[in-house]
Amino acid sequence: MSAVIDEKSKLVINETSKRYSNTKSQIIIYGIVCALIFIVPSFMDNAYLLNKFSTYLIMGMLAMALSLSWGYGGILNLGQAVSFGLGSYCMAMALKLRTVPIHTGAEGLPDFMVWNNVETLPLIWQPFHSLTLAVFLGIAVPVVFAMLVGWFMFKGRITGVYVAIITLAILVVVNLLIIDQQRITGGFNGITDLAQLEVFGFEFDAYSSSAYYLIAIFLTLSLFLALAITKSKTGKILQAVRDHEDRVRYFGYDVSHFQIFVFAVSAGISGLAGMLYTIVMEFASPTFLGVHLSLSIVIWCAVGGRQSLIGAMLGAIFVVGIQGSLSESETFLETWTLVMGFIFVMVVLFLPKGIAGAFESLAARIRQKN
Amino acid sequence: MDPITIISQLVTGLSIASILLLVALGLAIIYGATGVINLAHGEFVMLGAYSAWALQTFFNMSLFESLIFIFIIVALLGWAIERTVIRHLYARPLDTILATWGIGVIAQQAIRLTAGGELRYVEMPKQLADSVLIFGVEISSFRIFVLIFAATLFGLTWYLMYRTTFGIKLRAITQNPEVASSFGINSNRVFGLTFAYGAGLAGLAGALISPLKSVSPEMGTTYVVDAFLIVVLGGVESLMGTVLSAIILGELSSILSFYSNDTIAKALVLLAIVILIRFRPQGLFSSKVRS
Amino acid sequence: MNTEQLVLKNVTVNFNGFHALDGLDFSVDKGELRCLIGPNGAGKTTALDIICGKTKVTSGEVDFESKSITSLQEHQIARIGIGRKFQIPSVFQDLTVRENLQVAYSENTSVLSNLFKFGLSKDEEGLNELAEMVNLQEHLDVLAGHLSHGQTQWLEIALLVAQNPKLILMDEPTAGMTRQETHKTAELFLQLKSKHTLVVVEHDMGFVKEIGDVISVMHQGKILAEGTAQEIEQNAAVRDAYLGSGGITNA
Repeated sequence: MSAVIDEKSKLVINETSKRYSNTKSQIIIYGIVCALIFIVPSFMDNAYLLNKFSTYLIMGMLAMALSLSWGYGGILNLGQAVSFGLGSYCMAMALKLRTVPIHTGAEGLPDFMVWNNVETLPLIWQPFHSLTLAVFLGIAVPVVFAMLVGWFMFKGRITGVYVAIITLAILVVVNLLIIDQQRITGGFNGITDLAQLEVFGFEFDAYSSSAYYLIAIFLTLSLFLALAITKSKTGKILQAVRDHEDRVRYFGYDVSHFQIFVFAVSAGISGLAGMLYTIVMEFASPTFLGVHLSLSIVIWCAVGGRQSLIGAMLGAIFVVGIQGSLSESETFLETWTLVMGFIFVMVVLFLPKGIAGAFESLAARIRQKN
Repeated sequence: MDPITIISQLVTGLSIASILLLVALGLAIIYGATGVINLAHGEFVMLGAYSAWALQTFFNMSLFESLIFIFIIVALLGWAIERTVIRHLYARPLDTILATWGIGVIAQQAIRLTAGGELRYVEMPKQLADSVLIFGVEISSFRIFVLIFAATLFGLTWYLMYRTTFGIKLRAITQNPEVASSFGINSNRVFGLTFAYGAGLAGLAGALISPLKSVSPEMGTTYVVDAFLIVVLGGVESLMGTVLSAIILGELSSILSFYSNDTIAKALVLLAIVILIRFRPQGLFSSKVRS
Repeated sequence: MNTEQLVLKNVTVNFNGFHALDGLDFSVDKGELRCLIGPNGAGKTTALDIICGKTKVTSGEVDFESKSITSLQEHQIARIGIGRKFQIPSVFQDLTVRENLQVAYSENTSVLSNLFKFGLSKDEEGLNELAEMVNLQEHLDVLAGHLSHGQTQWLEIALLVAQNPKLILMDEPTAGMTRQETHKTAELFLQLKSKHTLVVVEHDMGFVKEIGDVISVMHQGKILAEGTAQEIEQNAAVRDAYLGSGGITNA
């Protein structure tokens, strides 16, 4: 014990021990990154590339949402894709009911239901006649689901590894149920042949800058919402929970409320991302809530920096972007995935705070020298 | 249900349980001893299956002949991974989830690039290709062999853990690493060997599964979640618990799939386990919790 | 007049057959500074654990300001005004000193009301003076994980002052402190005494003599003796209890 104390008293406090949580400079950096995202369409006139780039942004949004609950709240959610998938199915159901009659079965019934001998539109589909309601549900369903799961776990003081295992298992359960309920969900194939999103007569074509801007706007909004949460006192308390959950209780905070809150906010942002993804992909599929995607989100977040919202977001955009640009050639993509696995293991070993964390300590060292 | 159906479902359940046990046993040892959440465990299973395929295709070995080689190959791989990556992460158990997932991705890709992404098939040993009648139920001889093999491996592992000096050292380290090291136990070496043994067991599991299911680079992902739930449900450091929870899971899957379908049965079983973990994180058959 | 603020009545705690507390009766008056001493394994830390809700009683009753807190959860006990400092300093290592203190100002504990608080809010006005009091004013932006052991102890004491509970439980606050630091802690405690009730578990008899009016001695899960430092040192039963552990001063 005394050896430990001696070791600690030798520590010298210097610039590297400090954290400059300079909110102003952070807002400026976040603002610049968002502005850059907004000017992309002005020099990218290839509709196909723009569509791809908007999917990268959505993945960035997902990683950012995970950073909020994992990096700040200490909740390692391996089932982040659940909320993403629920959001995407909500949007897909609404857009399916808007398809031109040629894709649709008798009396406005979606085609796959006709093939599955469904005769009337299931009750669960009814609310999706209204787009407003569908958009509301696309966020509300994941939020309520997350609150239930959060209440189930955190009221029972489940932490660490067990949170990871439970969220992963729940992801698998939801995925199985969606595949199984073919008559309602379209099963393995998901929901395809969707109409384009149309709001007040304005059409968001998946292969145009309009859809891209829609995504950029919501990405910016949710990024700044998340930033505001981390800067608030609730955000500080959340980080305290991450560091030392029990200690927080003795200050009078009900830890589970804070955990459920951040878990639900993160799910809401993911649900929104899911809806946007359906708009640009023009379908929804069970792979949207697959184990592979869910764990990939964790990887992007860790590579970019779990304790930095913008780091996690850029990490995802960067990794998925390279993956996407190599996907033209099968062998390139395969090799890249191999290299990516390798890079990822290295990041976990040597940069536990990701690339953003590495930048921060570099900046601190530079300050130290001056 | 009539008696024949009941027996048939019970036997199917046992057969599922034996495969689950094969996969979970290696994981139970690794997780119990080191606290490492090894998401690459499924890939060890996959590598075992591919080793079986490669030995059969290129060296004309039958499954029986190749088992010992498969154990050695996958155990060596496991040992190498522990030495290069895992041993740096013992202080950060949650990060082992990330690192081992990365290793899993590497393993899958390496196989895809070398053996190709298409499905591969491993031939069943000829001696076991037929089936036998037990209580009026027809059962494939190979499945019975798998069951016996799983039981034998479990017995061996139990002996290793509780009756050999290696096992005593390992348990000493698990309970108190500092005291163990002051008695001169080299925890580095012991953990390395444990990881190798656990990986080797996974390799054997993969080899035995290969004639029953098709072999593909992503086959491991399906097993790793199940195996983890079994280990956690059984309780840390409780080998007996692992067996019992494998049996419970196998039988539950078999019975539930009789009433609904396989998918719903699987979903219900997973849900049941989630609820059990919530109320008994220490597992059903153990009093210890891994913090 | 009944001034008893905290009352433990016949409290028993049983850990797998081992009686950590065995019919403990203990009460503290409002505004008092009570020292709790006793040989190793006497149940001092368990007694604090019971009061702050970390451990639940097997049988018995804990009252605070005439209300039972026996079955309340940790955060509920904290909200009615009981704060705790742990034996192993527990601060939030990845937060700065300033952020640690902000979290400790916990007058308002709900998620939503704290969501709209940015920067220093009204109830955190005393933060800078508090940092000065424990000599951490230069280190407000330092991550708590980088503080020295003594500074960490100070920070945790400051956290408790920020929390402003009616009753403060301290488990070995001077462990690992130098002589001067211990002396300064004693001064601070005497300042706190007027506004808060303090229960201090301590091994350092010098420190206990410096701060304590009434000392309670625990042995085998119950109170063995109570009185001033002088009375305790002359008490034969206390001397017997400490026998073999090298006497009261080295305990």
